[in-house]
Amino acid sequence: MKNVMSNKFVITLYVLPALILILLLIYIPIVLTGYYGLMDWNGIGKMKFIGLDNYIELVKDKLFWQSTWHSLLLGLFSTVSLVGYLILSLILASKIKGANFLRKIYLIPMLLSSVAIGQLWAKIFDPTNGMINRLLIIFGVDNPPVWLADSKIALYALFFPIVWQYAGFYIIIFYAALKNVPEELIEAAKIDGATSIQIAYKIKLPLIAGVIKVMVILAIVGSLKYFDLIFVLTGGGPNHASEVMASYMYSEAFSKYNFGYGSAIGFGLLIICLVMTWLIQKLLSSKEVEF
Amino acid sequence: MFKKKTVAMIISVIMLVSLALAGCSSSSSTEEKSADGKKVIKFMHLWPEGSSNAQFSIVKDIIGEYEKEHKDIKIETEILNPDQYREKLKVLASSNELPDIGMTWSDGFIKPYVDGGMLAPLDDVVNKNPDLKDAFIPGVKESYAVDGKTYGLPLELNISYVFYNKEIFKKYNLEVPKTFEEYKKVVKTLADNGVVPATVGAKDGWPASFWFMYLADRIGGPTILTDVIHGKAKMDDPAIVKAAQEVQNLVDMGGFVKGASALSNDDAKGYFMNEKAAMFLTATWELPNYTTSPDVKQEFKDKIGYFKFPTYEGGKGTDINSYVGGPGVGLFVAKDSKVQKEAKDFVGYLVKRWGEKSVTDAGVIPATKVDTSKLKLAPMYIDILKDLSEASNVTTYFDTQSSPAVSELHHDLVTALFGKQITPKDFVKQQADALAKEQK
Amino acid sequence: MSKAAMETKINTTLSVPYKTSKSFGNRIGYGVLYVILGIIAIIQIYPLIWLLLFSLKTNQEVFGMSPFSLPQNPQWGNYAKAWSAGHIDVYFFNSVLYTVIAVVLTVILASFVTFAITRMHWKLSGLVLGLFMAGYMIPLHSTLIPLFNIFKSTHLIDNPVSVILSYVAFNLPITIMILAGFYKTLPREIEEAAVMDGCSIHRIFFQITLPMTIPVLSTTVIINMIYNWNEFVFVNTFLSSDKWKTITVGVNNFVGQYLTDWGAIGATLMISIIPVLIAYFILSDRIVEGIAAGSVKG
Repeated sequence: MKNVMSNKFVITLYVLPALILILLLIYIPIVLTGYYGLMDWNGIGKMKFIGLDNYIELVKDKLFWQSTWHSLLLGLFSTVSLVGYLILSLILASKIKGANFLRKIYLIPMLLSSVAIGQLWAKIFDPTNGMINRLLIIFGVDNPPVWLADSKIALYALFFPIVWQYAGFYIIIFYAALKNVPEELIEAAKIDGATSIQIAYKIKLPLIAGVIKVMVILAIVGSLKYFDLIFVLTGGGPNHASEVMASYMYSEAFSKYNFGYGSAIGFGLLIICLVMTWLIQKLLSSKEVEF
Repeated sequence: MFKKKTVAMIISVIMLVSLALAGCSSSSSTEEKSADGKKVIKFMHLWPEGSSNAQFSIVKDIIGEYEKEHKDIKIETEILNPDQYREKLKVLASSNELPDIGMTWSDGFIKPYVDGGMLAPLDDVVNKNPDLKDAFIPGVKESYAVDGKTYGLPLELNISYVFYNKEIFKKYNLEVPKTFEEYKKVVKTLADNGVVPATVGAKDGWPASFWFMYLADRIGGPTILTDVIHGKAKMDDPAIVKAAQEVQNLVDMGGFVKGASALSNDDAKGYFMNEKAAMFLTATWELPNYTTSPDVKQEFKDKIGYFKFPTYEGGKGTDINSYVGGPGVGLFVAKDSKVQKEAKDFVGYLVKRWGEKSVTDAGVIPATKVDTSKLKLAPMYIDILKDLSEASNVTTYFDTQSSPAVSELHHDLVTALFGKQITPKDFVKQQADALAKEQK
Repeated sequence: MSKAAMETKINTTLSVPYKTSKSFGNRIGYGVLYVILGIIAIIQIYPLIWLLLFSLKTNQEVFGMSPFSLPQNPQWGNYAKAWSAGHIDVYFFNSVLYTVIAVVLTVILASFVTFAITRMHWKLSGLVLGLFMAGYMIPLHSTLIPLFNIFKSTHLIDNPVSVILSYVAFNLPITIMILAGFYKTLPREIEEAAVMDGCSIHRIFFQITLPMTIPVLSTTVIINMIYNWNEFVFVNTFLSSDKWKTITVGVNNFVGQYLTDWGAIGATLMISIIPVLIAYFILSDRIVEGIAAGSVKG
C-alpha cells in the first residue's frame, strides 16, 4: 500500500500546478519585494542600490515598531475572539431549534465588501450623529468619547468592526468542523451520562484541535497583514494612533513615493509573520498533548 | 540529498526569474492600430460617468468631435476614480507603461514623473497654437513646469472661500466677519447657542489644511508657505507657529464639528448640507451644490452665501483678495508614447474646448480665461469669476506644492493638529525637519 | 408566538432520548440562550437592512442624518443610476465569470495539494505545506508592481486571465490551510481499505476523499467566492478595458474627484450582494447535507 500512496508521479501531478502558480505569482513578488527593499527608488525612473540601508532604517524606525505592536495587538484580540466564535459554533452545531436559520443570518456581514462595512462603521462611530453616541446621550452620558478621533481609543475601537467582520468566516469553519465529528461518539458519551459541556470539552474540541490551530494561525497572520477597514476608517490616524504594518507600508510606498522603503516594510512584515507562525506552531504542538 | 538539491534549484530559479523581471522595465509598447487601421491614442482620466457625469460627458463629446475631424485617430479611454487613478498611475509608471495621455496634479505630484523622464514637454503645444497662447490665467500653467518646461496643461482652477448658511447667521444676528477677531466672535456666538460653527473633514488632512494655510497667509503674508517650499523661509517661522496655534485656539473654542479628525471631507460636508453647521471652508469645486446641481433643494441653495477668509489683526497678509487655491488636474503626454505628435494635438484641442464648455456644462472653473459676458451663469459664478480676475495672489495649496512625502506628512500632522495630539511647535518642527532633509 | 409557547416548543425538540427530564432551571437557561442568540442575529442582519435604507437615500440624508433614519423620499433612481451609469450589466457578467472560474480552480487545485500532503507519503511534504502557508503572509500592495511586471512580460495585461490567476494563487494558501485542518480529522481507514482493494490513487481521491470533504469544500467555496466577488485592486491594476471590469469597479465609479454619489454606491452594493447571498444560502446547506452524502458513499 505504501507504493500507491507514495507514487512520485502522482504527487508531482497533484502538487505541481498549484506550486508553479504560487511560485510565479507569490514567490517572485516576495523576492522582488526584498530586492526593491535594497533600493532607493520612488517607483518612477531609475533605482539606486543602497544595500541594507532601508532595512537598517526599518529596525530603528519607531513608527514601524509602533505599527507592528498595533498589528500584534489586533492579532491577540482576534485570537481571543476565536473563543467566542467557538462557543457560538458549538451552540449552532448542537441540535437546537432554529440553528440552521441562525447560522445563515450570522454569516451575512461576511458577504459585505469592506466599502460597505467601512461606511456602516463610520456612521456608527460618528461623534455627533453616530449610533453609539446617540445611545450614550440618551442614557445620560454628557460627553461621550469621539471614538476614532481620539488617539487613545481609535485603535481599540477599530478592533470591533474588524473582528466582527470576520465572525462569519470563523463560525462557518468551526461549524463545518464540528459537523464532521462522528455522531456515534457523541451518542456514546450521552449514554455514559456526559453533560453537553463535557461532551464539548472532552470529545468535540480535541477532535477539531487541528482546525482550531489553523484558525489561530489564520487569525494572527491575517491580523498582521490587515489593511482594509483601517485604511477606510482612519487611514492609520490620528497621529499614527491606529497605524498597522500594512497601512504604514501603503503610506510609504504609494503615498510618499518611498517605494524602496515601503518594500522593506513589506518584507519585514513577512518575516514577522513567519516568526509568529513558527512560535504558534511550537506553542500549540506542545499544548496538543493535553487534549 | 534529493531534498537539498530540489530546494536549491527552486530557489535559484525564482531568483533568476525575479531579477530578470526587475531588470526589464523598458517600455514594450508598440504603436497600436485598431482593426480599421486607425491610430489609437490611449487616454486615462478620472471622471467616471457615475460620480462626475458632467465632466465625463464633456470629455466624451470632445473626443467624439475630435474623432470626426480626424478620421485616422481613435481615442480609447480608461476611466478610474481619483484614488484608484493615483494608485494605478504609480504602478504603470514603475514599469514605464503610462498611457499616451493622462491626468496629473501640479507641482509636487508631477515632479517625480518629470524627473523620472516619463513626460513630454508641452510648451510647443501652447506656443504653436494661437488659441492657447494667451488663453491661460497667468501663473496656472507654470504650476506644471519643472526647470522652465511645462509638462502639464491645466484644466481646472479652484480657490477657497468660507461658505456659510445665511439663515443661521440671521437667526443669531451675525454679520459676515471681516477680521479674525470678528470671526472668533461669530464662532463664540454659534458655539454658545449649540450650533456647530464650522465643519471640517480633518481625517483627510487637506480640508483641515485650508484653515492652516489661510491663517499662515493672513499672519505671515501671502508668500510665506511658497517661500517655505523653496527654502526661502523656514517652516518653524514664528508666524507659522502662530497660525497653527490659532487653529488650536479655534478647536478649543469649539469652533469645529466634534471629532473632526475622524471625519472625511464627505462626512464633514454632510453637516453643512444638512444645515447642522453654519460654515464650511472649501473650494469652488463645491459651487454646483450651491447653484446648479439638480440633486440639491433650491431652498438650501438660496440660503448659502460665501465670504473671503478674514484678515488677521497685525498680520502681514493684509489683502483679503489673496486666496489659497490652486490648479486641480491637468493633462500630460507620455514621453515614450508612440503617437506623441497626435496625442499632443489632441491635448491642445481638449484644453481649448474644455475651457469653452466646462463652466456652463459642469460648473467647473477652467484654468483658461472665461468671457462671462457671453455666458448665462448663476450669480455666484459671476461673482467668483470676477473675484478671480481681481485676485492679488493665489497661493497654491501647500500639499500640492510640496513633494509627495512632505505632503503626506503634512496631512497626517494637520489631522493631529486638529485632534490636539501634537503641539503647534511640534507640528512645524516635524515638517521643518522633513523639508530640511529634502533640501539637502 | 408567546414566550412560554416558544420555550415548550424548543424544549420538545431539544429533548434527547436519553435525558427526558428537563428542570425548570434548564428552561430558563435556554430562554436566556435564545434571547442572546436573537440579539446577535439582529446585530448580524442589521447591516443588510442598513444597506437597503442607505441605497434609497440622497447624499444629504446619508451624511448628517441618523443612520437609523428612514429615507424621506425613497430614491429608486439610485438603482436606475447604478444600472446605467455604473455599467452593471457588463460588469455583473464578468464578476460571475471570474468568480466561478477562480473558485473552481482554487478548490480543485487546493484539494489535490492537500490530499498529496496529508495522505501521501513523501519527504518534502512538510516543506511544500510551509511554502503554501508562507504565501499567505505577503501584504497585497507589495505584490502589485512585481505582478504587473510579470503579467506585462507574459502579455496578460488587460486580459482577464491575469486576474483569475491572481485570485487562484492568492486564495490557494488559505484554502489549503483550511482543507489541511480538516483532512487531518478525517478517518483514514476507508482510504486504506480502498488501497487494499487495489483502487487506483485517482479513484481514491475522486470517489472517496473528495465526497467525504464536501462540507469543508462548500465552506471554502463560500469563502473564496466572497473574496473574489468583492476584490477590486487586481481588477483595477491589471485590466483597463471597460468590457473586462467587474462589479466592484461599478461601485468605485460613483466615487468622484469632489463628489461621491453614496446613494448609487449603496444601490450597486445592494445589487451586487444578491447573487452572493443566494449562492451562500444554497452552499450553506451543503455543509450539513454533505456529511450524510459522504458517509453513505463511504
